[in-house]
Amino acid sequence: MEKRKIELMAPAGNWESLQAAINAGADSVYFGIDQLNMRARSSINFTLDDLKEIGERCGKAGVRTYLTLNTIIYDHDLSVIKTLIDAVKENNITAIIASDQAVINYAATQGVEVHISTQLNVTNIETVKFYSHFADVMVLSRELSLIQVKKICDQIKKEDIRGPKGELIEIEIFGHGALCVAVSGKCYMSLHTQNSSANRGACVQNCRRTYTVIDKETGDELEIDNEYIMSPKDLCTADFLDQVLDAGVSVLKLEGRGRAPEYVKTVVEVYREAIDAVQDDTYTREKVQGWMDKLATVYNRGFWSGYYLGQQLGEFHNTSGSKATQKRVYIGKGVHYFPKAQVGEFKVEAQNIKVGDKIIITGPTTGVVEHEITELMVDEKPVDTAARGVNITFPIKDRIRRSDKLYKMVANEEA
Amino acid sequence: MLVVTLQRDKCIGCNYCEELCPSLFKMSKKDGKSVLLKSTDKKGFHTLWTTPEYHEAATNAKEACPVNIISVKIK
Repeated sequence: MEKRKIELMAPAGNWESLQAAINAGADSVYFGIDQLNMRARSSINFTLDDLKEIGERCGKAGVRTYLTLNTIIYDHDLSVIKTLIDAVKENNITAIIASDQAVINYAATQGVEVHISTQLNVTNIETVKFYSHFADVMVLSRELSLIQVKKICDQIKKEDIRGPKGELIEIEIFGHGALCVAVSGKCYMSLHTQNSSANRGACVQNCRRTYTVIDKETGDELEIDNEYIMSPKDLCTADFLDQVLDAGVSVLKLEGRGRAPEYVKTVVEVYREAIDAVQDDTYTREKVQGWMDKLATVYNRGFWSGYYLGQQLGEFHNTSGSKATQKRVYIGKGVHYFPKAQVGEFKVEAQNIKVGDKIIITGPTTGVVEHEITELMVDEKPVDTAARGVNITFPIKDRIRRSDKLYKMVANEEA
Repeated sequence: MLVVTLQRDKCIGCNYCEELCPSLFKMSKKDGKSVLLKSTDKKGFHTLWTTPEYHEAATNAKEACPVNIISVKIK
């Protein structure tokens, strides 16, 4: 197998996730600004003023940056698009991820690198050829099998299809995260029921609810064993990543701009290790089991392999919400860090915390830090447990900040 | 009086309000979000006091808004 570096692309819905992705070893991040992206509703999103810091922070860390501009576009959006693309150029953002031809065309004329979004459902080599006039990287449709992906990757080399940069077209696919019941987001259900267009990033996720099927003629209800008839399980490729990379993809993308920062940290860490293991020929079943266990700790609807292995019918999940084996509970906020002693001080604002608790600390500059409480002090005296209202200190190597929040991780009984 | 409020920072620029109530709403060419014409901004809440003749159209816009950021009241 050809050994070239596979790019791991992480979602960044906010500063915490962005920093968590950088710290966990992502090669690149993608994010949205205000409304013109596919998570306009579910993630907080950055503003135009944040672009400079995103460019600088990621540039310093050697992490590439992609702005998602992949909704459908109306006439009144056209000037906004130009403003955003001009800002991308000015702030050294690596590329934009686009689907509308107005966006693709303007970026191409401005010399801004374009990546073709999965919203364009690229499923064949002729379409790759068509978009190669504008774009260097293309995300394939999530509904293709790995055999189809491999054929497209092979054909790019065989036909020497190059993008505007003069390099061979790179193929990107989704590696992990939520899947949609419709073809790569092309769904009108949310629009029909609540005027809330999925294709403007405002999906209300009707598909994640339970439904019954009734024969209107007789009034008989069909007996179905799972009422979540439209909610697919989450895609996970960690257990066949060797086959995924063997197909010739250059970029592995993780879904989840609407997810918590600890989700981003965990998933990036797992796929970083997994990609490196495949490339170092150290990918083993034992490692896979460890990764699967770790992935199950964060938000998931149960896992399946998507359409990559040629499965005909989707797998649907059967419970409400996440099957994550643990969840976080808010404890308090950061007060001070004593760098010499490597001790962090927090104010406990809810619940209680005790020695032995597993905690996470999240913050816009800190990202995500995982830690286990080994010692706990209140008023410089060691204690076993501390309740609401007191300030606690404990040794921790990572610097913590006033903008940080402290959570403890507890078993998720609903999972 | 008819009181219309728009919490515009949460707008996703879908254009429904302008389609249904063009006398009061217009999409900004600057940031692609809805503008409640002649309104005053107080901490992100843009409020307009106007005559009841727009009640029906404004209510239609309110009901169509996918992110529920329009309120319409008679005071």
